[in-house]
Amino acid sequence: MEVVVQVVFGLIALFILVAAAMVVSVRNVIHSALWLIACFFGVGALYLLLQAEFLAVVQVLVYVGAVSVLILFAIMLTRQISGEGVRQLTSRWPVVLVVTVLLFATVMAPTLINQQWNVPPAPPLGTPEPIAGPAELGRGFVNEFLIQFQVVGVLLTVALIGAIVIAFEERARRRRVLTLAEELELKRLRERATQTETPEPVEAEPVARETRPASEG
Amino acid sequence: MTASPFEIEIPRGRVIEVQRDDTRVRRGGGLLRGMAVVWKHWKESFKLNRSYSQIHGTFTIEYPEERPRIPEAYRNMPILLYDDETGHELCTSCFQCERICPPQVIHMTQAKDPATGKPVPAVAEFIIEYDACMSCGFCAEVCPFDAIKMDHEFELSTDDHTQLTVHKEQLLRPISYYAKIAPTMWAEVRESALKKLQGNIRRRPDVIGLAPQLTEKIAARRAELAAQAAQAAAAAPVAPAAAPAPAEGRKLTPEEKAAKLAAIRAAKAAQAGESATPAEAAPATPSPTPAGEAAPPADKAAKLAAIRAANAAKKAAAGEAPATPPAAPDASAAETTPSAAPPSDKAARLAAIRAANAAKKAAAGEAPATPPATPAGGTAADAPADAPPAAPPSDKAARLAAIRAANAAKKQQSGDGS
Amino acid sequence: MYDMLAALINGALGWGWPEWALNLLSYILIVTIVLVVAPLQMLFFTYYERRVIARMQDRVGPNRVGPEGIWQPIADGVKMFTKEDIVPQAADRIVHFLAPCVVVAPTVLMFAVVPWGPGMVPVDLPTGLLFFFAISSISAVGLMMAGWASNNKFSLLGAMRAVAQMVSYEIPAVLSLIAIVMIVGSLSINEIIAYQTGLIISNRDLPGIPDLGLGWFVFTPVGFVAFIAFFIAALAEGERTPFDIPEADSEIVAGYMTEYSGMKFGLFYLAQYVLNFLLCAITAIIFFGGWQGPGVGWLYAQGITPDNPNGNGLFNVLAGVLGVFYFLLKTYIFFFVMVWLRGAFPRLRIDQLMDFGWKFLIPLTLANLFSAALWVAFTRWGPAEGMLITVGWSPVLRWLAAFVVTLAINLGVYLWLTRVYAASQAERRRAELEELSAAA
Repeated sequence: MEVVVQVVFGLIALFILVAAAMVVSVRNVIHSALWLIACFFGVGALYLLLQAEFLAVVQVLVYVGAVSVLILFAIMLTRQISGEGVRQLTSRWPVVLVVTVLLFATVMAPTLINQQWNVPPAPPLGTPEPIAGPAELGRGFVNEFLIQFQVVGVLLTVALIGAIVIAFEERARRRRVLTLAEELELKRLRERATQTETPEPVEAEPVARETRPASEG
Repeated sequence: MTASPFEIEIPRGRVIEVQRDDTRVRRGGGLLRGMAVVWKHWKESFKLNRSYSQIHGTFTIEYPEERPRIPEAYRNMPILLYDDETGHELCTSCFQCERICPPQVIHMTQAKDPATGKPVPAVAEFIIEYDACMSCGFCAEVCPFDAIKMDHEFELSTDDHTQLTVHKEQLLRPISYYAKIAPTMWAEVRESALKKLQGNIRRRPDVIGLAPQLTEKIAARRAELAAQAAQAAAAAPVAPAAAPAPAEGRKLTPEEKAAKLAAIRAAKAAQAGESATPAEAAPATPSPTPAGEAAPPADKAAKLAAIRAANAAKKAAAGEAPATPPAAPDASAAETTPSAAPPSDKAARLAAIRAANAAKKAAAGEAPATPPATPAGGTAADAPADAPPAAPPSDKAARLAAIRAANAAKKQQSGDGS
Repeated sequence: MYDMLAALINGALGWGWPEWALNLLSYILIVTIVLVVAPLQMLFFTYYERRVIARMQDRVGPNRVGPEGIWQPIADGVKMFTKEDIVPQAADRIVHFLAPCVVVAPTVLMFAVVPWGPGMVPVDLPTGLLFFFAISSISAVGLMMAGWASNNKFSLLGAMRAVAQMVSYEIPAVLSLIAIVMIVGSLSINEIIAYQTGLIISNRDLPGIPDLGLGWFVFTPVGFVAFIAFFIAALAEGERTPFDIPEADSEIVAGYMTEYSGMKFGLFYLAQYVLNFLLCAITAIIFFGGWQGPGVGWLYAQGITPDNPNGNGLFNVLAGVLGVFYFLLKTYIFFFVMVWLRGAFPRLRIDQLMDFGWKFLIPLTLANLFSAALWVAFTRWGPAEGMLITVGWSPVLRWLAAFVVTLAINLGVYLWLTRVYAASQAERRRAELEELSAAA
């Protein structure tokens, strides 16, 4: 069983790495977004392998179902999707590479050095399950990590309001095609305006009567 | 407006006026009302509805099994009518329908009298392209002879596009058919239509204007009668007196009429044979001529006719004095015929050659009958030349005519011998 | 399935297969059954919908192929298979090809957690409900792929609409389900079904109620509001008619399916009807007790269960048949309601859809969530959780209090929301008119 898990882990990890590499190397932006979704899937599969099925499902729900769709949405509203004729690397990419590797190393080095590489033995039977189920997570959110949870919530709300502010457009500046009902209404308004200006009584009523069902009689 | 009705009753049901500001509508009541309407339709749809004043119930007619009665005035595609009794088509080829047809899908040719070449009030060919027809019914409306009517047949689908170009044979329907699908509409026009038809029949010679469906019947009957007449003629030369007795064509059935015609011709031939002197082959000419008139466009038939005419001429010549020099004019006459008869020139050429051969033999065998041999050969060659324009479309009739001609010639021969 | 196979192979036949072989065989069987059942349900649904909608329109519907036209879907399938598969030249071939697969695969995966009868669930996940909705949200990606890869404006518009609609209506759907999950205290679908025993009142809320399998959530105020909200959201997710904006054929041809033909189109069709089936099924399971019904619980108790290992296997079969019957009956009734709505209502506009979803359904479900919390507090909490009012109340009184309080809250919120929603719509109309008159 151990071997099978190892092999499956290897395959999933390889898949995630390939997908992640494709995300940054593919020219077409949509394709890279799709590769990103594949990558998310792989991560979900990893969670499943760790028997954290709640996390796996949430990973799929949030990242595949919502985040990636939003990314796709955003991409489709941009131009130059196919990415032809776009240079993916700057002329100084070796410098960037070195800097990136160095940064990565600074993050990873302490972990790599301090890590005790002997894998802990399996816990004896009867130990409580690790926090993976929804109930445990929920309790964690409202007891232990309440502050963090609230902060994240406020942050998301702020982001939401900000998005609305950016997307909001003055009503008066909006240009739109009128519906027939609106045009009719507009016509009536204009007629009323002319009525008040000129004393000539022009009945606007017939228009109104036409719209009613003719079957009353 | 304050007490405006939420629902209005009209004779055919209920009209629900939705007012958006009504609180009942606002709280989902409007949705439930809409659903109630649909529910009622669903519930009632298990009943059959055949009274079209009701709005509930299933209206569906299970088409291939159930067929509703099509209203009389329904129009689909135009058809041509012919009289059941006489077999005459009502159409006189006045071209009114062809002219009015908006998509221009009607085409026709007027029949011509083969003897005189004058137009006859009948139609030789009538074509309607059903695929482009728009069923407007203008043709039926404009027809002064009520010859073109709108059919009720609508199952016209086919996988063969060319089938939708419909010729006269498929267009023709008996009057009784139309009287069945549209009784009152036919009753309105019946009198005048039939009266006009009678007038037209009088102006139609021979089988022109007869529905092609009937020509076969007519032909069979004619052959029978011709054989009888021939016997009669051979037995007693008094036959001609008896034959032309019934003069009124319209009181006769088509078969009788045709038979009468044949009899007359046979009698004529017999008479000719009777009166012929031993030296004259010339009287044989009348017999090929009608054969030519009656002959079909089909060149087989024409060939046959020609062969028979030639044979007759041969035999006639055999019984007569030899004439060597006239062979040359015969041959030349035969050579000129192809140009005279382009549509069936092979047949004509053949016939001419045979006629020439016959004449040659006649010339070789006998001396004295020089002048009469020439006309014989000439007419024999002419016969196929005349044939194409004149003929009714079925070759059976033509064959018949040829047989008749041959008979006549034979008789003449026997008359010669006696 | 595993238990059954183990009993059959190692018990009755005595072959003594190893555990992994039994596991493998049982999963292969389950997958086969799911893969056979899903398309069959879709075939039946197409026929069913056409017949029902025809009746609503005073017609008869397809009745030519086979008795009463029952083979019509087969004929349609044959047609689909024999049609030419066309890929537009400007399309992104790979994505165009993958999109139908991405749309179909999740709908079939969702079958994995649907219980058909007592003990008849392919995979009993402890997070089954969440799995169901997580997987269903994947098909949005497939729709997006289809719309974009077709390189067609109609397709892209349809995909945009579909995804916007699915993403926004997932929120009220999940919120309304969370109310139920709070009451049950579990995400397992089997648990939710097991909660709905009783008669009108669940005997988990009020012990001592006789078990007729009728303690459905829809009979509680919380469950009723959740049911209405969920069903509306399900209509939007399944792209059923009042919300069939993504494929509005009178506006954008067929939406994201425009450039698909042959069996690829058939796959979209399959996905749609299978999704509809699943949404009806999950509605039936969560609010109407799934396979619960009079007799099933009793029959199942007589059969072989983990609690009762020496029962009679015949009762298992009987309980299964009756359970599947109840389950499918409920599901088909919900599909009937879907078709009924389709027959009754016209399509919404996209802004109406968004308004309704965000301004009406989400507040309503949020209020319902609060009611659900109160329900739990009244029926279950004691002084330990800080609920001091109910100390010393009898269970009936507690249940009654919960019922009355939640009913009052839900009804009040509903009436208030309708008023506010109507007022906001009227205000919006007024503002637009003002704008118009200013323009005039």
